[in-house]
Formats: sequence, structure tokens, C-alpha cells
Amino acid sequence: MTAEQRDEIEALIAQVALGNQTAFSHLYEATSGKLLAVCLRVLNERAAAEDAMQEVYVKVWSKADRYQVTGHSPMTWLITIARNTAIDRLRSRKIDRNIADYSERIAEPGPSPEQSAVAASESRRIVACLDELEADRRAAITGAYLDGKSYKDLSEQFAVPLNTMRTWLRRGLSDLRECMSR
Amino acid sequence: MTADLTPDDKDAMAAEYALGLLSGDDFAQAQHLATTDRGFAQSVTNWEIRLATLTDELEPEKPNPASKKELLAKLFPNPKPTSFWERVWVWQAAGALSLLLLAVVLVIDFAGQPTATGPLYTAEIVTEAGDFRVVAVLDKSTDEVFLTRTAGAAPEGRILQVWAHGEGEPAISVGLWSEGDTIRLPLPQTIAAVEGVLTLGVSEEPPGGSLTGSPSGRVFGTIDITGVTGRI
Repeated sequence: MTAEQRDEIEALIAQVALGNQTAFSHLYEATSGKLLAVCLRVLNERAAAEDAMQEVYVKVWSKADRYQVTGHSPMTWLITIARNTAIDRLRSRKIDRNIADYSERIAEPGPSPEQSAVAASESRRIVACLDELEADRRAAITGAYLDGKSYKDLSEQFAVPLNTMRTWLRRGLSDLRECMSR
Repeated sequence: MTADLTPDDKDAMAAEYALGLLSGDDFAQAQHLATTDRGFAQSVTNWEIRLATLTDELEPEKPNPASKKELLAKLFPNPKPTSFWERVWVWQAAGALSLLLLAVVLVIDFAGQPTATGPLYTAEIVTEAGDFRVVAVLDKSTDEVFLTRTAGAAPEGRILQVWAHGEGEPAISVGLWSEGDTIRLPLPQTIAAVEGVLTLGVSEEPPGGSLTGSPSGRVFGTIDITGVTGRI
């Protein structure tokens, strides 16, 4: 995404926060393709993904005023809402489970320098850093993020005790963070 | 509880929280931290930013056009929003009366004399939590808006900025509100020309105002003033 596209989406979100319906329509045009792809990747079913995406935009409409204080870049904010909404739906098919609500987070006015740094320097490096991880740990992280797998699911998949699985994944995440920030 | 967590533990927990891997007591603890501990909340956001790049390689999919229509119909079922007064009578008739009194006081106070030459509209901008409130009086006789803060303020080192737009129009800045409980701002020409629904909003911004032409900080709230007509 270019800086201009980023700024444009940011400006649209700001207008949406002020209740501008036309801006909301433009925001949908500019971002729904990507968000549908995210929902589809998680839910694996077109109708369910379109449904989830509608819920995503209802949230965007009602929470746009919170965007600036979350410290996200505009696309990561939208993608996080889409991913969490889709994962919630995926899990509610199986088991009722509570997931982190990004909206109830304590917030700073505007992104902190640290967050801007995270957004700018790390964004392109996760793939390279994932490649550095052991295959199992990599699969566990993407399984949790994109397939909504729980520790229980993962421990069954890798045939290890649940606590071992948790230690593994936490180590994998710590390695990932270390790699991305260097 | 949190004292026995090392910074590494906390960051790992933030990652697990972002991934939605926590349950039971761990989930409750993380949720508590996310709402009370800025460092932790920031770690969660940082993880969300890192993890979102896992979707980088996903190619956009074309949504069904019917999906957008359905969404817009769901969100904006009635093109004409409920008026301020309709909403107010339901929950706070007494409050509305005091708004009106305040409006009169403000106009007399600011303009030096009661105005009877143009329509006067009052509205209140309130956050969902009610921790920030601004009473706005729109005076079409002079095309000015008077604003009074009745609760809350801009965070330390930030100022307030007032925005407005007509229906379907982009919001533009009406002016900066750097200090004081009350302010009088002349309406920009495009806003003064609005007839029908005029939306007012207030955001918090860096000193000097937003650099983007749109709100760049938290938007406290907006209010639609309906039935706005021009000067008499």
C-alpha cells in the first residue's frame, strides 16, 4: 500500500467517525476486497465470509471514532476487526468463546513512537521471520491467527501435551518478535 | 497479580490475547490489563500489527454488490435521521429545557442582545460514556455556532477542534477550540449554506489543529441538527 492510499483510507475513517455516509461508502469500496479475502481465508465459505464482512463494516461504522486512539495503521485496524470477527464466527460454530475486544482497550491519543516504529519497520518482515522459525512453531502461529485454533486444537494437531504446546508457541512468538525488531 | 509477571511474560500474554488463545483466569487477567495497563494495551496492538501482516499475501476478493446494498440499508434505513428533539423528549425533557435556557443565556451573553432575526438550533454532543459533553447553539441569524463544554476536556497538551458537514458532504473544520469553556465560531461559507441536516462534531487534536483536514484524534461525538433553514 502506498503512503497516499494509506492517507486516503485514514481520511475516510476520520470522515466516517463524523457520521459521513458518503465517506463510509468510499471506505467500503476501497477496503472490502481485502477484508472479504481475510474473512474468506478464516471461514472458507463465501456466504459466511460475506456475512461476516457485513458485521465488520457495522463495527467500523460504530467504532470509527475509536480508530485514532488504537495506534493501528488504518489497514491493520480494519484487518484486525475482520480477522477477529471471522474467528469469532468460526469458533461460535464449535464452541462459545470470548475473544479480545479491541474496542475496550485503554488508549493513548494517537500512536506512540513505539507503535509507529512497529508499524513501519516490522510490517514487511513477518514472512521472512516466520521462515526463520521451526516449521511446527510457524504452523502453530498461523493456525492460531488464521484458523482460530485454540491451544487444545494445536496440542492435538501436534500430538503434544497442552502445556508443552503453550511453551512452544510462546517461545515461537518471542523469537518472532525478536527477529522482527532487529 | 501483575507484579509476578515479567515483561516477557506480559508480552507473551499480550500476543496470546491478540490471537484469542486465552481462556478462564488468564483471559480475565489479560482483559483487565488491556483496560488498565497502557503498556500491555500497547503490546496487544503491536502484536495485532505484526500478525495482520500474515494476511499480506491474500489477494482481494470481489464482494457481491448486493452485499453492500444490504449493508447500507441495514445501517441507514431511514434517510432522515431522528431529530434531536425527538430523541431528547424521550429521555430528558427537563434537560432539554435547561439547554434552551442555556441557549438563550449564551446568545444574550455573546451577542449582547437577544436575536430574533434567524432560526436558532440547539444540540448536544455527548460521548457514548457521557464523559464528554458539549452544548451547541447554532445561530442562523449570524451564521455562528456557540459551544459550551459541560463535561470533559481535551487530554493534556491537546486541543478541541469543531467540525461540520451537510448531508453526504465531507466534514470540514469550523474552527479550533484551544481554551475556555465556551467559544463562538463563525460558520465557514459551505457550512452556512447547508440546508436540511447539518452535522456537528468535536474531536481532540494536537495544538494548532489537525494537519490532515479531517479529524486526526478521537472524535468525541457528532450530532445531526435537522430541518436547518437559511437566514430569514
